[in-house]
Amino acid sequence: MSVVAPPGLAMPLTGSAPLRTALFQTLRFRLILSVALVHVVLMGIFAAAAVHEQSDRIELELLNRSRALISMTAVASTNTVLTEDLGALAEIIQKVERQPDVAYCEISDSRGYILGTTLPDRLGKRLPPRIDQSDSFPLAPGDPTLDLREAIQVEGQTVGTVTLGLSTARMDSAMRKTWLDGSLFILLALVVGSFAAWLLSLATTRKLHDMVGATARIGKGDLDIQLPITSRDEVGMLAIAFNNMVTSLKQTSEEALREHRQRTQAERLACVGEMSASIAHEIRNPLSAVINSVNLLSGDTLQGEDRSQVIGILNNESHRLNRILSDFLDFAKIRESQPAQGNLAALIEEIASMLRQDLPPGKSIRVAVTCPPDACLAVFDHDQIRQVVWNLALNAVQAMGDNGLLSFRTARRGDKIVVTVADTGCGIQPDFIKDMTKPFVTGRRDGTGLGLAIVQRILVQHRSQLSVSSELGVGSEISFELDSGG
Amino acid sequence: MGKCSPLLFASRGRAGAAVRSAFVALFMAFSTPSASGNQGVYRLGVLPLQSPNKLAVMFLPLAEALSERLGRPVQFVTAPSFSAFMARVSARNYDILYLNPLLCSRALGHGYHVVAKVGGEPFTGILVVRRDSPLKDLDPAQLPPRPRIGFPDPGAYAATVMTRRYLSRLGIDVDRTFQVKYFGSQDSALMALYSGLVDVAGTWKPSLRSMPKDVRNDLRVIAETPPEPQMPIAVRNDMPPADADAIVAALTELGKTPRGQAILGGMALPQGFVAANDREYEKVGE
Repeated sequence: MSVVAPPGLAMPLTGSAPLRTALFQTLRFRLILSVALVHVVLMGIFAAAAVHEQSDRIELELLNRSRALISMTAVASTNTVLTEDLGALAEIIQKVERQPDVAYCEISDSRGYILGTTLPDRLGKRLPPRIDQSDSFPLAPGDPTLDLREAIQVEGQTVGTVTLGLSTARMDSAMRKTWLDGSLFILLALVVGSFAAWLLSLATTRKLHDMVGATARIGKGDLDIQLPITSRDEVGMLAIAFNNMVTSLKQTSEEALREHRQRTQAERLACVGEMSASIAHEIRNPLSAVINSVNLLSGDTLQGEDRSQVIGILNNESHRLNRILSDFLDFAKIRESQPAQGNLAALIEEIASMLRQDLPPGKSIRVAVTCPPDACLAVFDHDQIRQVVWNLALNAVQAMGDNGLLSFRTARRGDKIVVTVADTGCGIQPDFIKDMTKPFVTGRRDGTGLGLAIVQRILVQHRSQLSVSSELGVGSEISFELDSGG
Repeated sequence: MGKCSPLLFASRGRAGAAVRSAFVALFMAFSTPSASGNQGVYRLGVLPLQSPNKLAVMFLPLAEALSERLGRPVQFVTAPSFSAFMARVSARNYDILYLNPLLCSRALGHGYHVVAKVGGEPFTGILVVRRDSPLKDLDPAQLPPRPRIGFPDPGAYAATVMTRRYLSRLGIDVDRTFQVKYFGSQDSALMALYSGLVDVAGTWKPSLRSMPKDVRNDLRVIAETPPEPQMPIAVRNDMPPADADAIVAALTELGKTPRGQAILGGMALPQGFVAANDREYEKVGE
């Protein structure tokens, strides 16, 4: 299988690379994300350290306050324990109870009798101590009270015991608030950092966006664009380089355009010359026959059947001249395509039907049409594509003898509909394939060589081209693509 | 009693103190039984002659020594006042008593009996003035108008009762001649004298000896009462005789060991203890 791209035809546009990209792929997003992550991580570490330090400080403060309070209570209650002055002990207990966070306080004598307590149901009873030893941080999970115990001593002898419990609720609340504050700081840092990153990215990427826009305009052919140089940073340097590149590109483009125009002019002139030569060549033979026939008829030498034969020749060659000129006019006057969504299957079926009806007598050619439901519709100029398919079909019929199979197929390939005309004819000479779409190049004696040239011009206007696959003695397949419009 | 709220004790002033004392006595009677109440701890009740802390410093070593001898804990306790102390005595709240002879005579009526007393030094009360005081003796004719006199407590036998009796015998009506003030303890009365709050203080020798040297040197004894039986040690009459004998032995043998001497020195009673009986105290105060 070979694909032919006739010289002088533009390659189909494949479209430019998309300039829009997903948000998370943008430099701006990555910059914001990076700064936000850095802020979160750094502030998280800082906040965690600060909160940890604050927690330690709060715990230490509570512990120190508890120790100071229990020591003061022990000192204050020494005489009252010695004198068993329960009233004075009660006053001491009351004062202790008024201190912040005090959950309970008990004072017992050396025997274990509770002489003073904030828990009335324990007063006067001999009960085991609430705790064996003082707590320290961290407290056991679920323990809401810091319990401390201190002996009341005189001259090294224990005369009583003070047991003090301080609620950690306020401390826990302060710690929660500290954590909350830390979290808010992290959040604030995240917001501020992201905003700063957004501003920074905006300043940085705005120029890049301008550059992207300029690139798009260059892609559309605008080479007069110049970016403003507003800074001397890396982006500014890039803008300078960009402008230099555009200037250079413009110069190169202008030179290329000039060369292209010159070459096109030269090719056009050559083409005109070639075309003229072809036309001259094509019409010279029939014209010579016409002239000779006229000369013969103007004399008296031809009589009877010979005269009729010459008149027939004159008539045939005149028609041939007329057909050559008509085809050439068709070729020269191909109008601009006006594509529209149309039913390709119906068009092919119509042509197949006409072929079945118009087959020359004695020919037994089968015509098959295969158009799947997903390959019926396409965007095309109805009349022009009708001519394309008709020309390809006629070529196929002419390539086959009296028997054969002519197939029309459509198939979907992505957003394209592939139209194929296949025959079981004699095939095409490989050397002929590359020139078969040139004007006045024909493989048949009676052909004008303009049929495939017209086909090719129409397909070019549809941004398509012919694809030829052929095997001598087996057959040929000629395909082209149309936009599905879907 | 255990249901009583500590708020009960929030009342202040003299009335509050009285209520407190009554409550304390009642509470102790019911809630802190003595060793005889099978708690295993002997309670050594010491008359609040001085500040509780000072008493503790003096008597805790003695309690420890007794504990070692008895093989059971001995708890040192005192009371907020003489009256509170005697209320507890009447409630038999103490197992061992250290009190003055006058209160001892009353304790005998509550089921205690004397087993020992402070030895050697006679039990006298003294009247003390500042060293720079113009008072040289207690001649009623030479006393300044309405001098101020301080005592520890109305029930303090040597410091108050004996000295008042002594002054009466000199023809001095204490309440008319002096402005009488009570300071709660021997130390307080002496410190009141030292700081100029009173002109004369009634006390006894061990308390004066226990004062800081600077204070002591700044004071001067101007009179001493005739001797009375010394400060006794009494025990509850339901204490097992073996324990009572052990207590007597421990007390009388204190002076025989360095440790015991140190204990006695700390109590300002270098002369130690000797055995005694109820008869010496039955007539005290009559």
